[in-house]
Amino acid sequence: MTATADQVAGALRDLLAEVTGRDELRTIPAATPLFGGGVGLDSLAGTLLLRQVQRRYGVDVAAADLNLDSLETLATLAAFIAARI
Amino acid sequence: MASTAADTTLIKCVVWDIDNTLLDGVYLESGERPPPANPALLGVVRELAGRGILQAVASKNPPAAAEYVEQLAGLDFAAAECGWDAKPDALGRIAAGLGVADVEMAFVDDDMLERAEVAAALPGVLVLTPEDAAEAASWPQFSPPVVTAEARRRGQLYAERSRRQTAASDFTGSRAEFLRHVGTRVTISAAAAADLPRLYELSLRTHQLNSSGEPVTEEELGSLLSSAGHEVTTVRLADDFGDDGLVGAAVLGLTEADETPGATVPAARTAPLAMTVPLVMMSCRALGRGTLDALLAWLCRSAAAAGADFLQVPCRLTDRNVPFRLALAGAGFRAEAGRRAPDGRVLFSRPLTDALTGALAGDLPAVPDYVVTPGQR
Repeated sequence: MTATADQVAGALRDLLAEVTGRDELRTIPAATPLFGGGVGLDSLAGTLLLRQVQRRYGVDVAAADLNLDSLETLATLAAFIAARI
Repeated sequence: MASTAADTTLIKCVVWDIDNTLLDGVYLESGERPPPANPALLGVVRELAGRGILQAVASKNPPAAAEYVEQLAGLDFAAAECGWDAKPDALGRIAAGLGVADVEMAFVDDDMLERAEVAAALPGVLVLTPEDAAEAASWPQFSPPVVTAEARRRGQLYAERSRRQTAASDFTGSRAEFLRHVGTRVTISAAAAADLPRLYELSLRTHQLNSSGEPVTEEELGSLLSSAGHEVTTVRLADDFGDDGLVGAAVLGLTEADETPGATVPAARTAPLAMTVPLVMMSCRALGRGTLDALLAWLCRSAAAAGADFLQVPCRLTDRNVPFRLALAGAGFRAEAGRRAPDGRVLFSRPLTDALTGALAGDLPAVPDYVVTPGQR
């Protein structure tokens, strides 16, 4: 990851911990899947996360990524955002 | 200002001021005994609550003022913002918490400045004087075409939700663990004719978790219910905090990409078979409670059991149904570039079987153990 993507990933860990209320997410590896067994992001937590991302970085992930493939892992989301700021 | 009769967007939530509005006086300036209720307006609160319209308060008072009015009214407010913030901020928090849009809100306040402040900051909100509000029950904006049992209990359901959210924020553990901890029960079953009014209401009211992006008429829903080519499925949700009743539904098309009522299932086939889900809709009360994920998992497994290799969900992209798209993505659905349903909706699909072996796809989402499915009834 680039330096910027690294920084974004760090900020995303904190956002994930906030929107899910799970502090242990502050230390997850960048390759952790966001859906399913990894973070287990559901539509509520996902919506809150994307809202915070838009507020903080001005990146509207849902508008820019039809399939939300950028939400595959923490690293892919960080790279997606870093490429647009 | 009052009767914008031309705009008949249904109001989902009325936010009331307390001092000199719901109360005949000022709560903090009345000595030991709080002032009595304004009986006419409290009657309007009860009448509108009975129609399923959420009732909330925004007041420059301590929280005890809202509890006092709740006792007088004999009902729970869906939201209460008590504090010294500007009214537009209080309304913004109520709108976000309840999942209603500005144009679905009305605001009643005796204070001209507060009304002007809200009208300027939130131009979509219907701003009323207490005198306007006393008449409001007869206006079309406050007269939903259907009022179901779920609707009449809506205020209570939101109060239960608030207690659930407090428990969730105190809980350490994953969301799935929390859902089990609070005794979540999701019941998936075939729709009956008696469910039709509630299904129609869901089609009018749901936006965040809705695949069609627009209401479906009661006639269309009725013909889907009686169609041999479609299976209409309902989802009910309950937990230890309360029973939310019928919160969602899905239509599974039994023939490939076919939405014609009365179509029959093809007898034999050689090419991979795709089944279609022309409609998914779910109340935003179910957000964060594992219900839509459970429904999508069950749809995938039902379609696979019926012999389908793919399941596709046409989805109209709106600025409000991002939560629905997140659930689709989480369940492994992807849109193929350029593939659209005949009505222009984007086709999201996912494989149900392994293309080589024909076995169930390894990443098929699991139906959680708190779900009761039709075969288990």
